[in-house]
Amino acid sequence: MKILILLLLCINVQAKYGRAINLYKSNKKNKNILIAQELIKSKYFFSATHFLKLHLIESNEYSKELENMMETVALKTGPLSFSNLNDDILLKFNSHSLRFIHGLKSFRYKRYESAINSLLKVPLDHRLAPESVFILGSAYQMKEQFNKASLQYKQCIALAEKNENEAEHKKLKQYFAIIKESCIIHQARMEYRKANYKKSLKIYDQIPKTSFRWPYILIEKAWVHYMLNDYNRSLGTLVTYKSPLLSSYFFPESEYLTSLNYFRLCLWSDSNQVIEHYYTTYKPRSEELKKFLIQHKSSDTYFLKILLSPIKDWENMSPYLRNLMTQVRKKIKFNLELINFKKVQNEMKYLKKMYKKRKDPLTRMLISEVKKMQSWRTKHLNHYIKKQMFSFINDIHRFSYEQFNIRLEIMALKRELVYDNKKLISNRSRGSLDNVTRTQKQHFYDFKGSFWADELGDYSFGLKSNCKKVKNKKK
Amino acid sequence: MIKYLALLSVAWTINSTFAQGDNKQVVVKYKQYESFDLGNLEIEGKVIAPGDLSVKERQRKKFYRDLYVREDFNPEIYKDVDNLR
Repeated sequence: MKILILLLLCINVQAKYGRAINLYKSNKKNKNILIAQELIKSKYFFSATHFLKLHLIESNEYSKELENMMETVALKTGPLSFSNLNDDILLKFNSHSLRFIHGLKSFRYKRYESAINSLLKVPLDHRLAPESVFILGSAYQMKEQFNKASLQYKQCIALAEKNENEAEHKKLKQYFAIIKESCIIHQARMEYRKANYKKSLKIYDQIPKTSFRWPYILIEKAWVHYMLNDYNRSLGTLVTYKSPLLSSYFFPESEYLTSLNYFRLCLWSDSNQVIEHYYTTYKPRSEELKKFLIQHKSSDTYFLKILLSPIKDWENMSPYLRNLMTQVRKKIKFNLELINFKKVQNEMKYLKKMYKKRKDPLTRMLISEVKKMQSWRTKHLNHYIKKQMFSFINDIHRFSYEQFNIRLEIMALKRELVYDNKKLISNRSRGSLDNVTRTQKQHFYDFKGSFWADELGDYSFGLKSNCKKVKNKKK
Repeated sequence: MIKYLALLSVAWTINSTFAQGDNKQVVVKYKQYESFDLGNLEIEGKVIAPGDLSVKERQRKKFYRDLYVREDFNPEIYKDVDNLR
């Protein structure tokens, strides 16, 4: 029975594709839309983008049917398929999908006002509405219009939650959950910018530990604790990155913040130790990674090939390579683009099969067009991975400079002490519960040499500040 | 009578002035050579400076470096949107 249904579907698809071939040969008015319609029905979505783009460039006509087609194709192939159209064409029609694409494109070019103008025209019942309000809120936030941003984030949370509950597929549920959490995190960041640190911390705590976003916000929470002068809690939050569960998350900034926290507690030798470790361990590793990246920097395919090959083939190439690849694999954009990359490859395979059978001009032209899309998407994905890696190397160098500043400051303060004939109290009784500050919702665990999943993120050090100066007595 | 007395006193003053100028000529002479024996010079007095080396105390200028502190998470906000689709 199943085979019979599949066979009938196949015949149906073939018939619709056949209609597209006939339309291509004809001189009908609105030929491009009609071909695109048949191609969408036959599930040749990437091929359909070619005819939709032709129509947008050549014609001034726009209908509700065309809008539905645009929405479907934008969802199936990704908004990137249309982002190479120039702004005049994207804004030519009163189309919600095109406004969304223009809004996203403008945000990427940091033209926030233009992004706001376009995204305000996307209605809340649009299929891309959760993403739209999320970008709109972010654009307002970048322009420091916090009240408007806050309203958009509230809408974003409600819409994403609704979509999450209604979604049938697990992956789709996860996708909307990530959008919802991103809006919550942006609210927390907004409070941080406004120096409402306690409120910011409360919002961050809404993100569950099981969330994909959670490891990334630990560093942000550590900054909030730092701003609240709770250096022990900040150090405890950062130590979570040392747990084996989070070994693939290495952020140079977390090492800097650790030494800065020690510095504020006047535990200069601890601070120097963190800096020394950074210079002796992380910097040489990053130099190694840099050498590896530079060797292949001009390749358009190398990094994508590595990521798609088995881990054991490349994990020994550089110490950071595996961590970075793991992080890239977990990004939504990468996953969506990878799906689209596989879809375009699949469509190409079917077009080639079709051409073997029919040898018609439409399929020949589509093979050439889809080949260009395939090549562009390969380059795009490769560039995305490469960008993540180079940005990591830049971070290592940037925070190496900042660490050096802490070291200079420690030296200057030590010299001051010598001039004043004083010394720090150096009461090195290391940790005590007396030095731990906690709210009602914060837990307290003793660290006994191992990390437990339920404790992660709730650690606090109990170090006493060493900043008291005492007179240096001569022996 | 008063007139005769006044004329007489003026005539006497003029006469005495001219009489002085004729008698003395002032000649100023400078020393042509003078020598000092520095080895023989002795200065007498008391030392009033303190015995130890001392400098005037002043407040030293302290320089503090601006260590990097996060003001916002705008780069992360941008990345979140860029990583969405």
